Amino acid sequence: MPIEKETLKAMIRDYHGFEISDEELDLVAPALNGYLAEVEKLRELDLSDVMSGRLLHADEGGEN
Amino acid sequence: MADSDLLTLTISELAPRIKAKEISPVELTEAALAQADRLQPKLNSFITLLHDQARAQAKEQEAALMRGEYRGPLHGIPIGIKDNIATAHIRTTVGSKVLADHVPEEDALVVTRMKEAGAIILGKENLEEFAAGPTSNNLHYGAVHNPWNLDHIPGGSSGGGGANVAAGVTFASLGTDLGGSVRGPANFCGVVGMKQTYGRVSQRGLQVTSFNGDHIGPMTRSVSDSALVLQAIAGYDPLDPSTVPVPVPDFSEFLDRGLSGLKMGVPSDYYFDMLDPEVEAAVRLAIDAMAELGVEVRPVALPSMKYAGAMRIAGMADSIVTHEPLIEKGRDDYGPTVLYRTLAGQFILGRDYSKALKVQRIIKEEYAKVLQDVDFLVTPSAPVAAWPISSETVNIAGADYPVRGPGAGMTSRCTSPSNSTGLPAMSVPCGFTEGGLPIGVQLIGRPFEEPLLYQAAQAYEAVSPSLGLRPAIAGTS
Repeated sequence: MPIEKETLKAMIRDYHGFEISDEELDLVAPALNGYLAEVEKLRELDLSDVMSGRLLHADEGGEN
Repeated sequence: MADSDLLTLTISELAPRIKAKEISPVELTEAALAQADRLQPKLNSFITLLHDQARAQAKEQEAALMRGEYRGPLHGIPIGIKDNIATAHIRTTVGSKVLADHVPEEDALVVTRMKEAGAIILGKENLEEFAAGPTSNNLHYGAVHNPWNLDHIPGGSSGGGGANVAAGVTFASLGTDLGGSVRGPANFCGVVGMKQTYGRVSQRGLQVTSFNGDHIGPMTRSVSDSALVLQAIAGYDPLDPSTVPVPVPDFSEFLDRGLSGLKMGVPSDYYFDMLDPEVEAAVRLAIDAMAELGVEVRPVALPSMKYAGAMRIAGMADSIVTHEPLIEKGRDDYGPTVLYRTLAGQFILGRDYSKALKVQRIIKEEYAKVLQDVDFLVTPSAPVAAWPISSETVNIAGADYPVRGPGAGMTSRCTSPSNSTGLPAMSVPCGFTEGGLPIGVQLIGRPFEEPLLYQAAQAYEAVSPSLGLRPAIAGTS
């Protein structure tokens, strides 16, 4: 889902990011869309039950 | 011996003759500098050539040799250093305009170690701007050209090093690999590229653009040469917390042991999904050749690799942090590809970054499990052979993908997973396309088991259709 330009500008303003003009935002968009596409794939990935070996170790009483 | 004959030799062949004083470091360096001068207008493989320094180093090494102070197999060997690795009092541009006048005060540790081993530094090699891309088509310093076909890319980002090793300019080059930037140019230029285990080699003095997964590694003309160079640069660095204090083995120890008794995994997921038919055919032939040499071939599953793209999210976010001070200082000096990708990194949410790291962990565990059943994995080094410099896109499995900026990660999809897992991985030449462009096969091993990778790679190298072939531009027999 694309992010509105105004939202991006607000993020920059509120979080002290780099100022970007409207024209530059258009140029940044492809990289952002690539990021969002990967994030979308991650949403399909239910990691809630996936515990790494390190975390499983902790469940067994080991120190972590 | 004629200069053109000297330049065809490998380090393994040269070393005993230098030790025996049959070949002089000065003579060898002059031959390499002449080759560099002849080919620089065609390859554009250097940003800075170091004639005077190289000659001075060669004289020092020759004098040491005459005093009986032989420093080992790299003594008197001309090499190249990628221009994002610090060299004291020599400018280190990182392929950028914003750092065009950057002159470090200290050598990177790998440079110190190569000098201590007696190597001669010919120059600083051209690369993609900020080492961020697969083409080495540098906006500020010009495109590097592939010695097998000057109209084609040499791969990136360490393209100058790959081109120099293939064209008989340097006998080894040190590149850096954050997503395949050593193995990619090695693959596209038909030489050997090693990205050893994360933590094996110090990154101190490397201008990093990500805190996660960068490596300094060698490109060489043979597997045995790769082992010799890694021997010189490997080892714990108390000032680089990314290095691991494990013993450095003899990387040449298992050479000549062959493939019998080893188990090789062929991934059924991801790596063979999107390949140019000529690349797939060459890699399948390499697998068959290794099977004939006695390796046991087993299919292996890596289902989590469908989420591999998520790991690039972390890299984007890292990029904004490392570039921040430079963008503030010289934003107008950035090329658009690096600038806009970097600026996009400021919109990455912490939650997504953390999730990407969790995916990375899961994928690492999956590889660890698979590598309990096999000794190493075999994959293509890249989905396609080198494409024309003028191309803005490359066709992979019927779809066009950009070669710069967002989507360009497709061209390094076979190499980048090993940057996230940290596993050692190397590219070995395995043939050519009908158009005469090199193809490589990648071997991936268990952590800190580079000797076993070298063992397997050298056994295959001996039967590879690429063995002994050099680009015509090298001007060597």
